[in-house]
Order: sequence, then structure tokens, then C-alpha cells
Amino acid sequence: MYAQASNERLTKWLMAAILVAAYGFLYMPIVHILFASLSSRPNFPYPPEFDYGSYIRLYTNTVYQSAFLNSLIIATCTSILSTVLGFLATVGVLRFAGRKALVYAAFFAGPLFVSEILLGISSMSLYYLAFELQGNMVTAIIANSVHCFSFCFLIMAALLYRYDWRMNEAAVVCGASPVRVFFEVMLPLTWSGILSSLIVAFVLSLNGLDISFYLLGATPTMPSVAWGALRYGVKPELYALSSIINILVFAAIIVLYFVARSDRQLSVE
Amino acid sequence: MADPDNRWNRRLFLHVPAIFLVLFFVLPLIALVILSFWQTENYKIVREWSATNYVTLATEPAYFVFFVRSLFLAIGVSIFSVAVSWPIAFFIVRHGGRYKLILSLLLAVPFLSGEVLRLISLQGMLGPTGLVNGVLLKIGSAPLRFIMYSNWATFIALVYLYLPMVVTTVYLSLLNFDFRLTSAASSCGANRFQVFCEIVWPLNLSGTIVGFLLCFIPTLSASLAPRFLGGPSGVLYGMSIAQQFGESGTWALGAAMGVVLFLFSMAVLGVFSLGIDLRRTGFTGMGRL
Repeated sequence: MYAQASNERLTKWLMAAILVAAYGFLYMPIVHILFASLSSRPNFPYPPEFDYGSYIRLYTNTVYQSAFLNSLIIATCTSILSTVLGFLATVGVLRFAGRKALVYAAFFAGPLFVSEILLGISSMSLYYLAFELQGNMVTAIIANSVHCFSFCFLIMAALLYRYDWRMNEAAVVCGASPVRVFFEVMLPLTWSGILSSLIVAFVLSLNGLDISFYLLGATPTMPSVAWGALRYGVKPELYALSSIINILVFAAIIVLYFVARSDRQLSVE
Repeated sequence: MADPDNRWNRRLFLHVPAIFLVLFFVLPLIALVILSFWQTENYKIVREWSATNYVTLATEPAYFVFFVRSLFLAIGVSIFSVAVSWPIAFFIVRHGGRYKLILSLLLAVPFLSGEVLRLISLQGMLGPTGLVNGVLLKIGSAPLRFIMYSNWATFIALVYLYLPMVVTTVYLSLLNFDFRLTSAASSCGANRFQVFCEIVWPLNLSGTIVGFLLCFIPTLSASLAPRFLGGPSGVLYGMSIAQQFGESGTWALGAAMGVVLFLFSMAVLGVFSLGIDLRRTGFTGMGRL
């Protein structure tokens, strides 16, 4: 009995060790980059110093400015488009699909199982064959939305499956229009899922290179400029850019954390 | 079903997203197939139907080498990621307590920060002037050659890129797993090994397979990591596709390579999906319905 308990404790600590090692592996490069971007010696920035030089050079670089703006436009449009479509798909699968729910769910999750590069080159082929069209912002937004749509669908489905649809019916019986039902009944109850989906789609499309790369032609976006610069060697500005994005993502995750926590409290009440 | 209200709802909620996917997901893949049967000459597309591209692919040994290399790397990365994910996910679910949520969300930071930026970070770790070799030089040791511009560097990078995805899928599966079943098995006299092999593993197999596939399919077509970290002998299949569409301008051949990759992925997906029960993956929470 005693041997089994100690055995169990050993397994537990072993798993904890693997967890710590994995988180260390995942976070060490991020922290290293942060130090490197703040150092005048980016190759080996220990002990850490605080030198904002690379951030100032990044800020004054006009290529990065326009690229960042383009990425922002793509990410905003993509997150809205894919969240709206994902919301429709979620409600459709959970409420109206009936026996075909699994078929539709598998179809809607499909883009997840087709790699980004295939999505990029196939969209490029379509636009080229059908319209003789070079890539532009709109095609990039649409292709990014296909990719993000699956994520949005899965996130919202995970959070909406326990939604009580009778509340919508109750509101309709009391004379509410569908729009009012959405804004006054569904939105207050499901905003956490919708917001999570917006955030994830935004961040994914802000950083997605493969898809945008093939569909944008000469329009620079943040990942494509970073990729271009990477081929000529890593510069401290890239470290700075990378750190800024990492901090933004980290902030987004903290927002997600509070959203998810408040959602849990809501469902406990 | 017959009442018109419900039909309109179905049209709006199911058919709008489905039509969107057909137009911008299925149709492009069809275009890719069409393109793969045409030719490219001098950066121009010639609309003549023939299977030349596929013949090139079959007869040119280089492409076969790229594909086999990608395949082995993808299998290795996926199996390694699944093996590491299980203890992590299991620990978070069983012992995470009130830190469960934050631990699982922290996995998403490296995942969401984008492939290029993560490769930049990794280069800062593994490159010739990176942290690992910097430390080794500081303590007076020789730099590790095998992590610079080699298939090992690609391996590490791909694990770094897709491990969060696999852990999250296994975690979601375990989260929806009813752990009372293990106590039941124990009290019926099963030892811990039996409990794992006969209860925990089979009931979470679907989630594990989904995690494996979500790692396997993108690593099979990896194009950025090998290009940047793989070095001269690290050309992978996805990277070669990217080159056909980029520098060399042979779109049609690239399209044929894409079709082969797509068909292979679908075949793998088909074989594995025989073992998947979507309701058990914990992915959509449908298991609890």
C-alpha cells in the first residue's frame, strides 16, 4: 500500500517535471528574444540591460509601418468575417442540423486538416484561373477567413453547446423580433465565446504567413516583411517586433483568461 | 421540418457557412487539380491537358526523397509530441486544480504568436550565435553542430511549433473524460497499468488521434521551418512546393505536388478517422449531449 502511494507520487512528480520542461522549452526563446531586443549585444544579452535602440529603429522604419497597417486591416476583417460565419455555423449545427449535425461539423472543421500552404496555393490558383487576378487584400482576407473559420466554429461550439435554446423561444413568444432576441438574450449569455473567437481569429490572421504570402502579391504584411528580412539574417529590429507581438498575444491571452473565468462564474450562478 | 420558418433558419445558419466553404475552400482545391494538369512555360500558364507534371514527379527521384524525408520527419515529430503531451495534459487535468485554465491558456501564447516570429525566436536559441551555443562557448565547450542548419534543427522547430496544439487536444479529451471510471476499475481489482491501458488510453484514443493529425498534417507540408533552419540537406516537400510557386515559377508542377500532398493527407485522414469517434474527442463538447 505504502509502495503504491510513493509510486503514485513519483509519477506525479515525473509528469510535473515534463510539464515544467515543456513550458520552459516553449517560453525560453520568447524570453530570450525579449532580452535580446532590449540589449545592445543581441547575441548574448546576459546580464540583461535596457536599451530601446532597436524599438526606436523599428518605429521609424516606414516599411514596417505600412506592413503593420496592412496586417491590422487583414486581421480585423478576417476576425469579424470568420466569427460571424462561425457563429452561424455553430447555431446551425447545434440547433438546426438535426441528424446531420456530425456531417456538418466535420465539414466545418475540414479546413483545419488542410495545411495552410495548400489553402494558399489553391486559392491563388483559383483566382488566377478564374479571374486572371493577382492577389490583393480581399483575397487574402477571404483565404485567411477560411482557415480561421474552423477555429471560430470549434471555439464557439465548445462554449455554446450547453446554451438553452428554450430561452430564445421564450423571448419570441413574448414578442421579440429575431434581432432583439440576439442582442438581448443570446449576446449577453454567449459574449465570452464570441469574444474568444474574435481574439483567436485576429491573432491567427495577424501572424499567418503562408496564406497571405501567396495571395497578396506585392502588398507587404507584417509576417511577410519579417520573413523577407529573416532571409538576410536576423536583425535586432526583428527581435523587437517579435517581442511586441508576443506581448500583445500575452495580453490577449490574459483577456481570454478573464473572459473564460467570468463565463464559468456565470454558468455556476 | 415542414414549417417554413425552420427551413429559412436552416438556410441561413447552415447553408451560408457551407456555401462560403464550398466557394473558397472546395473550389480552390478543384482549381488546383485543374492547374496540375496544365503546364507552365516561361512563367506563363499553358492550357494544355496532359499528365506531364505527374510523370515528372514520379520519375524525378529528388521529389521522392523530399517526400520521404518530410514523411519521416512528420511521423517522428507527431509521435514525439503526442508522447510528451500525454503527461502534460494528464497532469493539468488531474493536479492542475484552480490553475487548470491558466496553464492551458499559457500554451496558446507560443502557438498564437505566428510561425515566422517563432522561427525568429528559435533562431535566437539554436543559431550559430544563439543562446545554446553562446552558453556552450561561455563555459568553454565546442558549439553543438547538429542543431545548426540540419534536420535536427527542423525537428526541434516543428515540435516547438505544434506541441501546443497537440497538448491542447489531448487536454480537451482528458477534460471531458470521466475519471470516476478509473476508480471503478481500481476497485474492481485492476492495477494502475491495466487502468491506463484498458480504460484511460482507449477512451481518449480519439482525442489523441485528432491531436496526432493536427500535428502530422501541417508538419508534412512544412515549408518555412526547413527553409530557415534545415540547411542544405534539409529540403522538405512543402518547401519545394513553395519554391515552385515562388522563385522557379513552375506553378503547374507545384500544383501537382500540392494535389499529391492533399491526396496523401486525405488518405491518412481517412485511415485514421476509422478510429475516431468525434463525440469522444471532447472537441466540441458534443460528448456530453
